[in-house]
Amino acid sequence: MMEFTVRVSRFDPDKDTAPHLETYTIQVNEGARVLNVLHAIHDGIDPTLSYRYSCSSGQCGSCAVRVNGEPVLACMEEARDGITIEPLHLDVKKDLVTDIVPRLEQIASLVPKKDTVLPKKADIDAMKPLKDCIECLCCVSVCPAVDVTTFLGPTAMRQEMRLVLDPRDSGDRVPDAVRDGLFTCTTCQACWKVCPKKIEIPAKAIEKLRAHAHRKGLTLPRHLDVAALIRETGRSVPRTGTTFLEQIGEVLEPYGPVKATVGFFIGCMYNMRQVQSALDAMEVLRRNGIRIIIPHEQVCCGSPLIRTGQLAVIDSLRQKNIGTFTSRNIDTVMTMCAGCGSTLKNDYKTPFNVMDINEILTKYGIEPPARLPIKATYHDPCHLLRGQGIRDQPRELIRQVVDLVEMPAICCGSGGGVRSGNPDEAAALGSRRGEEIKKTGAEIVITSCPFCEFHIMGHTDKPVKNIATVLLEGYREKDRKAGKR
Amino acid sequence: MPADEVCDCHVLVIGSGGAGVRAAIEASQYGETVLISKTIVGKGGCTPMAEGGYNAVLREQDACGIHFEDTLKGGAYLNDPELVRLLVGESPLRMGDLVKWGAVFDFTEQDEIAQRPFGGQRFPRTCYAGDRTGHEMMVTLVERLDSTGVTALQEYTVIDLLKDGGAVIGAIALDEKGSIVLLKADSTILATGGGTRIYDISTNSSSGTGDGFAMGYRAGAELIDMEMVQFHPTGAVYPYDARGRLVTEAVRGEGGILKNANGERFMKNYDPARMELSTRDVVARAIATEIQQGRGTAHGGVWLDVTHLPREQIETRLPVMLEQFLRFGIDIRTTPMEVAPTAHHVMGGLRITAHGQTTLPGLFACGEVAGGVHGANRLGGNALADTQVFGKRAGEAAGKAGKRKKAVDREQVEAQQNRLALFLTGDTNPALVKRDLQLAMWRGAGIFRNAGDLGRTLATARQLAAVHLRAASPGNLAECCIVQNMCCTASLVCRSALLRPESRGAHVRTDRAQSHDAEHSPFGHTFISQLHEGIEPQEMKP
Repeated sequence: MMEFTVRVSRFDPDKDTAPHLETYTIQVNEGARVLNVLHAIHDGIDPTLSYRYSCSSGQCGSCAVRVNGEPVLACMEEARDGITIEPLHLDVKKDLVTDIVPRLEQIASLVPKKDTVLPKKADIDAMKPLKDCIECLCCVSVCPAVDVTTFLGPTAMRQEMRLVLDPRDSGDRVPDAVRDGLFTCTTCQACWKVCPKKIEIPAKAIEKLRAHAHRKGLTLPRHLDVAALIRETGRSVPRTGTTFLEQIGEVLEPYGPVKATVGFFIGCMYNMRQVQSALDAMEVLRRNGIRIIIPHEQVCCGSPLIRTGQLAVIDSLRQKNIGTFTSRNIDTVMTMCAGCGSTLKNDYKTPFNVMDINEILTKYGIEPPARLPIKATYHDPCHLLRGQGIRDQPRELIRQVVDLVEMPAICCGSGGGVRSGNPDEAAALGSRRGEEIKKTGAEIVITSCPFCEFHIMGHTDKPVKNIATVLLEGYREKDRKAGKR
Repeated sequence: MPADEVCDCHVLVIGSGGAGVRAAIEASQYGETVLISKTIVGKGGCTPMAEGGYNAVLREQDACGIHFEDTLKGGAYLNDPELVRLLVGESPLRMGDLVKWGAVFDFTEQDEIAQRPFGGQRFPRTCYAGDRTGHEMMVTLVERLDSTGVTALQEYTVIDLLKDGGAVIGAIALDEKGSIVLLKADSTILATGGGTRIYDISTNSSSGTGDGFAMGYRAGAELIDMEMVQFHPTGAVYPYDARGRLVTEAVRGEGGILKNANGERFMKNYDPARMELSTRDVVARAIATEIQQGRGTAHGGVWLDVTHLPREQIETRLPVMLEQFLRFGIDIRTTPMEVAPTAHHVMGGLRITAHGQTTLPGLFACGEVAGGVHGANRLGGNALADTQVFGKRAGEAAGKAGKRKKAVDREQVEAQQNRLALFLTGDTNPALVKRDLQLAMWRGAGIFRNAGDLGRTLATARQLAAVHLRAASPGNLAECCIVQNMCCTASLVCRSALLRPESRGAHVRTDRAQSHDAEHSPFGHTFISQLHEGIEPQEMKP
């Protein structure tokens, strides 16, 4: 037996005004799950502890709770000493029991056609990946759009897509999905990262439904504008001044010996909006032995089109971008934009390796910058953290130059076409980020994505800086001190 | 505690697994139908946990007659042949309903529903959706239910059936805060599932507590073959808290093999013809014997091995198994599973007619709570079919049954109120009583049985039933009622096991020498009710 001390959220609506955490020390068997911890409390200490469970084997989706903030199935998650167990981020009925029935009732049902139609194997195979859902609502619990809009949530979209694919269904599901918030999803990927069945709802349902919506003429006008701009200019943002590519040569040599050579995929935002961040990054790379090759004929990666379901020109963008690097025999392409990086890694099949700048800098190591006397917080870009699994590398870099205070990794609201298509939602999510930033007491906000950088700027009074800019400031301070000496 | 009458409906369905929801869908065509469940509809019961499959005759090379024979033989000829005839004949039709309503079963390259071999069957007739077949059915049924006018009362615990004279006229339930509600109905359908949670090691969900057996018995219904408890051959053994978790028969259906700790494929010593795909009673006894005789693994199991199968087959046909074991650090693609028998299914239950009518007017039963379909041993894949065939039959019969005058017996309600009031001043934690019962049942009424152990276990169950349980709050009252139902169900199993002086199917009496085989047994059903109990002689074969 092992002894664990855990904290459990308790709330009785008849007695309490707000939930509070109770601490319990219990004995459990080796290999015990979180559910066994709850049983031990219920059976041995306080029988009034309320929690829901049924199958105890990961198949019914009854027992989802948050452990240390992350949604999990209590019956499958291994228990650890010191954990905090809280209800899902839904309306709480009592203790760990949430009001899931209204949420479940919002999920659409198949309405059979009058004449019986039978599916083909191809239909079955297409639907199957969307049918593993056990409706545990972990995805709804973490969805930022659900928090600030009337979006029914990721699994409701999963079901709409499954119905679209089902020849037996008589419903007109695409307009329903649009009504129920299809365009509120920021494609932050939080839903499927916590999904016990790993159903890739953003790529397999949301973006697919948006493509169906496009065919039905339901694409948001602002998204159509972006697509038109890409068709005309190859870029997803309008020109407002001198671009990055216009002020930089095709090859940038490092200041010292060459440690590595990478091709650089700039992306529209760094090319045309956050140009200074990209220029700062070039300085940091050159200082650290990276030779950078920058083909000038590269175009938009297509992410704004894929996220919004407008797929017509995607193939030509892909071909052009891949060709521009392969023709120069580049084996590693570096991205700096989290969205472009995620797209090149997940929506392209590239004959070359794609790495984010944070991966490049930590792989080859950086010259230590001077420490700046600044307390900073870091905003995880969704398409970096969840789209590319990059969590530790930016932190490793940041900690070399400033003090880092963590905040929860939640979407800022700028992705998935939401900033252009649903500005109110984007602003609401941005404001929430602003509040989180305030809570940390940090003097600056660091991030590593041009969309996040640009969007968060509008929702905090603290300076928002690219990670490369902060590193460069560290180097300048180092040089200044050296010069003085 | 005031007793509120929340409804007066035509059909009340108790239980929200595959049988209950199917019954409610059917009944709703005939009048106002209420579905009451102690869980969330679609999440409770054992149907969403059913992994392997659904037996249905769908191919020209197969025949209902063969399915009929396989089922009777597998059931050690204790099945009610009429119920089996209906099961095999209507299972394909009910599969058709599910497919029409949107179920996504696996298909073959020829766009037909795929089927795989299961134990004790001469044709691969088990339809499946990977190894989450029951879940797929449940999702489909709940979607269908949404399009009917059925009212669902979720997280209400039925604690007693309402009686008006000899007839059942509804039920008494507790809401989640422990307040009493009365539900009157012209017809009441028990679809409460099984009860192997009365054992320490069990595959069942939290709702497999035998409430329907106990409530039916208390209301005066007759139950048959309650000694027939299926021990599934393959349950997880490690870690301790995962003991009993189902390892689907589909693992063996897909080609998994069983080995003892010496690496010997021991099934050749027990059933060389059918090997791992013998019937569950045979395989469970074989594994239990290997372990008893010292050829078990360190954790007290045997090896179930699929490492010789192509990885892709494991990933696509057994994804849930793969995922569950991975969560416990075992990759079944490269490492054998450790398994041992686990209490799985109660073949016995309320005696029913072809229309799910019990021996009490106004009360129907379907699914695992009903007896007679599976005899002394159920074939894998027949339970999901049972839920649909007899769920529909009970729903239809209850729906078509006439209106009934319903006078609530105030004395009965008061008796229940008094019972609940006593729990609030009780002295014993129900969790401890449950634990003692489960351990006693596993020790004394498990795979191998004898009169001495059964008698002692019965005494324990009776003693535990009389303990003064304590409800820590009104919200805990339902728990106390459920633990008492578990004690009652355990008693029914022990008493019935003592009534059957032979080994038959899942029921093995080590204290009885026997010369007859199952087909020539002189015994029929055991029966038990508040009025009488006994064992029927076997009807003469034509």
